[in-house]
Amino acid sequence: MTNDDLIANLLTAAWLLPLLGFVIEVFGGYWQKSRKSKAAALMAVACIGTGFVLSTVALYLGIDWKVLFDPDNHGVVMEEIPGTFYLLGEFGPLVLSLDYYIDSLTLLMFTMVTLIATCIHVFALGYMGDELTDDHVDHEVHLSDGGHFHRPGRFYRFFSFMSLFCFSMLGLVLAGNIFQVFIFWELVGICSYLLIGFYVERKSASNAANKAFIVNRVGDFGFIIGLMVIWTSFGTFRFFDHEIDTKPVPGLFTMISRVETDDPHQDEHPAEKHGKVEKDEKENEHPEDEARHNGEEKADGSHAVGEHAVGEHHAHTMQLDVDDARSVVFLHQDKKGTRIADPVSKTEKSIPYWLLIVAGVGVFAGCIGKSAQFPLQTWLPDAMEGPTPVSALVHSATMVAAGVYLAGRFYPMFAPEVLLVIAYIGCITLFVAATIAIVATDIKRVLAYSTISQLGYMMLGIGVGGWAAGLFHLITHAFFKSLMFLASGSVIVGCHHEQEMPRMGGLWRKMPVTAFTMLVGVIAICGLAIPFSIFGAKIAFSGYHSKDAIVASSLAFMNANQIHFLLFFVPLITAGITAFYMFRLWFYTFAGTPRDQKVYDHARESPWVMTIPLIVLSFFAIFVAVGGERGPLYGLLQGSEPFHVDGGVVSVAAEGATAITMPSRRDVHAVHGQAGWYALIAAVSGAVFAYLLYGIRIIDPADIKRNFSGVHTFLVEKWRFDDLYEVMFIKPVHVIARWCTGFDRSYIDGLLHWLSRKTVDVSRWDRKFDENVIDGLVNWIAKVVFKGGRSLRHVQTGLIRQYVMFIALGVLALFVLLFVMFPA
Amino acid sequence: MASGERKPPDDAQNRFQRQVSIMDSSTLLLSLIIFTPTFGALALWLFDRKAEESMRYCALVFTAITFVLTLFLLGEFDRDDPGIQPVRIQVNEVSAEEPEPEYERLETYHVAAEGEVLDGEKLTAGQIVSGSKVYDESEVQRGVVHEWIGQWNINYTLGYDGISVPLVLLTSFISLLSLLAAWNIKKHVRGFLILFLLLESGMLGVFLSLDFFLFYVFWEVMLLPMYFLIGIWGGPRKEYAAIKFFLYTLVGSVLMLIAMLMVYYNSGQSFDLQFLARVGQGLEEGLGFSQSIQIAAFILLFIGFAIKIPSFPFHTWLPDAHVEAPTPISMILAGVLLKMGGYGILRIAFPLCPVGAQYAAWVLALIGAFSIIYGAFAAMAQTDFKRLVAYSSVSHMGYVLLGIAVWKIGESTGSAAVGKEYWLMGMNGAMFQMLAHGVSSAGMFFMVGVIYDRVHHRDLNQFGGLMGLMPFYSGLAVGIFFAGLGLPGLCGFIGEVFVVLSTWNFSPPLAIVAAAGVILTAGYILWAIQRVFLGPEYKGPHKEDITPMNGREASIAVVLLVFAIVLGVYPESMFGLMRGSMELLVDNLDQGYQEVSRAIEKASTVMR
Repeated sequence: MTNDDLIANLLTAAWLLPLLGFVIEVFGGYWQKSRKSKAAALMAVACIGTGFVLSTVALYLGIDWKVLFDPDNHGVVMEEIPGTFYLLGEFGPLVLSLDYYIDSLTLLMFTMVTLIATCIHVFALGYMGDELTDDHVDHEVHLSDGGHFHRPGRFYRFFSFMSLFCFSMLGLVLAGNIFQVFIFWELVGICSYLLIGFYVERKSASNAANKAFIVNRVGDFGFIIGLMVIWTSFGTFRFFDHEIDTKPVPGLFTMISRVETDDPHQDEHPAEKHGKVEKDEKENEHPEDEARHNGEEKADGSHAVGEHAVGEHHAHTMQLDVDDARSVVFLHQDKKGTRIADPVSKTEKSIPYWLLIVAGVGVFAGCIGKSAQFPLQTWLPDAMEGPTPVSALVHSATMVAAGVYLAGRFYPMFAPEVLLVIAYIGCITLFVAATIAIVATDIKRVLAYSTISQLGYMMLGIGVGGWAAGLFHLITHAFFKSLMFLASGSVIVGCHHEQEMPRMGGLWRKMPVTAFTMLVGVIAICGLAIPFSIFGAKIAFSGYHSKDAIVASSLAFMNANQIHFLLFFVPLITAGITAFYMFRLWFYTFAGTPRDQKVYDHARESPWVMTIPLIVLSFFAIFVAVGGERGPLYGLLQGSEPFHVDGGVVSVAAEGATAITMPSRRDVHAVHGQAGWYALIAAVSGAVFAYLLYGIRIIDPADIKRNFSGVHTFLVEKWRFDDLYEVMFIKPVHVIARWCTGFDRSYIDGLLHWLSRKTVDVSRWDRKFDENVIDGLVNWIAKVVFKGGRSLRHVQTGLIRQYVMFIALGVLALFVLLFVMFPA
Repeated sequence: MASGERKPPDDAQNRFQRQVSIMDSSTLLLSLIIFTPTFGALALWLFDRKAEESMRYCALVFTAITFVLTLFLLGEFDRDDPGIQPVRIQVNEVSAEEPEPEYERLETYHVAAEGEVLDGEKLTAGQIVSGSKVYDESEVQRGVVHEWIGQWNINYTLGYDGISVPLVLLTSFISLLSLLAAWNIKKHVRGFLILFLLLESGMLGVFLSLDFFLFYVFWEVMLLPMYFLIGIWGGPRKEYAAIKFFLYTLVGSVLMLIAMLMVYYNSGQSFDLQFLARVGQGLEEGLGFSQSIQIAAFILLFIGFAIKIPSFPFHTWLPDAHVEAPTPISMILAGVLLKMGGYGILRIAFPLCPVGAQYAAWVLALIGAFSIIYGAFAAMAQTDFKRLVAYSSVSHMGYVLLGIAVWKIGESTGSAAVGKEYWLMGMNGAMFQMLAHGVSSAGMFFMVGVIYDRVHHRDLNQFGGLMGLMPFYSGLAVGIFFAGLGLPGLCGFIGEVFVVLSTWNFSPPLAIVAAAGVILTAGYILWAIQRVFLGPEYKGPHKEDITPMNGREASIAVVLLVFAIVLGVYPESMFGLMRGSMELLVDNLDQGYQEVSRAIEKASTVMR
């Protein structure tokens, strides 16, 4: 077994173990006699824990650590490992299969997901403890007879769903083609549905679960459109190059690979079409040849993947291989940029540029749904109806981050215009969500909005060309956000299922471990740091590094594209808002004097089974990003970076003012220090403001609330998205649905019934016609004949003489007639 | 003639064996598959009227035998040969003493590929190679043919290929499960079972017959038992539903009859579907259907089959029939009967009238896409659980029509298909969707039936809390409903998504419309699940009758769910069966269309 096979097998085992666990847990749990057994939970923990060990081993084996830690070595951190599990269907040249595609991003995601999932599983052992009973009373459900709802505990079911989720999530990360991503995309969606609706008796929970799944399906509708475009234009879903009948078939990433251009002002090309710049015209007479020539020069293009190009000057701008009119993108046979020739028509295979944008935006629509981005963000806060470990695992660290993961994984397929869409969507989301978080009072909802906002940051990072920055934030965020969710879970359990912050306060004295681990998370998410180097590194938690990277990328992007200044200022301001609402949460909950003495009196620190995961996660929340952009985590991510990111990308279809230039890594690096200061200032001012309002309570928040009551209400109502969607979509759908049934009933069936009535009418007529006309005629003839016969009866006297006389008269009459008619 | 050296094996031993077996093995197997249920129906007369339990077991045994026989058929089926099977050769010279030719099945053979060489001799594609012998396509008989009504050239022709084998399997499988589901029918048990078995014979006959007349006969044979099964064992409005079903289908049958006579008299009086397909595809010298006949016949056939599918606007019999039919009959109706529409289009309407099919492809695709959306919307508005499932069938079968119809021809390529592989994928997706829907909708109807048996109502607003009262049932039911929702890993997903993916090549707007179905489907299924299974308490009557499923019910549900998972996780199991035949069909249609349109063009220039 080669090293590659070993890694693939390790990850496959880590992926399938939770599935095995799910099957055993769900059936074993159902048939076990008592609901007090922890067997299913331990099984789930064992499965995911083993998965973590396997992933770590795979990570260890897969990465070239020498390259990673040697700043002067520009080698490859890891070569990707592609492969196929089995075939789903094959239609001529079209092949659909389950594949795997392993690169350092995959390994990192595997390790991150399994590690966090293990912590959360352990935490859930304690958190879900009240389900370990044969008679569980659900105080939130009121029956029609006024009593509370009693049911057997469902400890096993929770853990089996969690296992199913882990399986789906790992499958999503391991997927080697975009169709397979979609498969697991739906599966994590259904796991999320099952877990949000875990308390099936609660109407609010099942509503939230439905909402989550259906809103996600709205995004998936776009995803499918993207898939259709890719399938029809590219003929494959696979990321990687492969062979069909020993014929090499390029994967998506190769087909769309960029070609180099020496001209850093490619965006001005449209201008020359208008005759503004003429001097470049001659130089670019044969852009295709040039492009191909350059492509060959960069024959070892894939090696650029792992290069630490920070501060180097050999970066070139890369762009899609477009034609002169910039309306189609040519597809490549290999990484050198050889175009695919259609054997039949002898033309070069290409995809219209606009269609590439449709494909990108379509797939990204899926990401919008899954990562709760504007305008589909409304499902995530409601999803907090699920148990808190679910919120920590599914709705902060892993599943919702899958949208960002996919945006990163699929990055090579995104045209610059799509990236701009991603950036703006992220930008709007991070601001909208942050503003709602300011006024939310439910501790979990604050965290939910903060999650949406942070996901927006990640999307923004990816959209402005900070590929590694966005994914960097994904990893760090996963740790500190799951930490904070678990801490909030600890608070909720400690306060006997009280979630409203206005009834908390001063809890740090009662639950110090929870309070301080939460503080770690808060500092991490706000990006607070001591901005001076000590021992060659800044003293900062993970969130500082990653958010800093995003802000730097967007600053560089703004420098390159002045018109998109909002993409820098909005996230900068929101960094301050983030610090404000996160510290508000901490001060509200843990600091000061208790607001509700009863809650405070009954509060207690959680048992070790819940606090140890908090401590483990806070360790990672502090140290995971150590070294910042020169640290190992960032290096690992860069090992998977699409190689055109390095040099920056230029929009090829846009004209004049709407041209987009993606900053190169060099550009980003140049503004890094500056951006770091801006972000830090914003964060500190937010934190200080929160301290004034909720820490030492100098300013009364109620005053502000009164003065801005209109804004406050608007924010509390979540920018009124739910109402809007209710009016715009849900009601019309029900109306149309009723129309459809009505149409069936009234028109189609109506027509049929009318036809059948008419048929009956016609047959009635038929009967009448038969009875009156035909029978009448027959009867009339009969009657006439009868009457005639009757009148002739008088002639029949029976006298021979009379008859002879009749005959004689008859003969005479005949003769007379003959003579009259034929006179001789 | 490449097989000049072939000598007919006429040694005495062979001759003796042939005389002993009056029917050769393949005729026997196919006939047994069709008529075993009929024998079962006859056998039921032997029982005492009161021995209901024994009669049920008797019927069960006969359905089980049929199922096993279809498994044999699966074993016999050679998936490397895309054409109609069995492949048989004539083994005697027709003479005065033996006026009838005799055939023997070729046990091992393969179809020569282009450029294949055997013993230094180059073969032409399509020749049949058996050992060292080579036969031309015209020398072998595909399928079994026995004369039935000679003067009208009607034959007893049976055969199978990759399109019919999966459907035959589905039929016998669903029949077996439905019969198990019929265990608690108490009224006129003997009559029910007899009709049920006759129905099964009719269905299997439809899928196996290759003579148009025979097909028509089986099609009608199926109709009457269904009428009585709904009309006698149905719910409160059973008479209305039964007559509606009967009249709808009869209209379809009449249209099919007209089309049948049209092609009969335009093909030198043949009912042989293989021959008719060759005529329709312009492969028979001197014969052919003119453009107007193709179009007219196709429209007639299509309406006949569309009623069965059923697609908008011919679908309103379905909700009524389903709502009134007893559970096992609903399972048969949704699981098998609806597939006959799709099968008829694939087996008859398209191959016989490729020009007509291409002419109407847009309308078909439009109807398919519209049915998807319309059915989903209508399902959302239902308050009757069974009606909701019935409308979901309209929606799901829309994918079948859409997948079959995505046949695109381009201006630049003349009349050749553009992106033929996408059409092939659509066809395969449609076939798979039929199988998947057979499993998932039969499962859904069964699940509705289980709860109906307990509480005797189906009002969606009067359920709730079943998850707590019947957890095992609810778990299985939710699984099966997810299969209907098109969740990956379950059967519904593959068919739907493959069809949708193949549609973009045909028409992006239609593809978008079809894809929008995923949102609506999720909507109505999740909403139904919420109203029935979730919530704290059951809101309807007869709460005390809600008992867990018994072993029989549980095993039916488990088997269906397992198959839904197997098909969803490993769809290649079915695609592998149908691949060859589907490719052949698509190639034939594509080439047939080009052939015929060339001929038509030539004719029109001559006329000018």
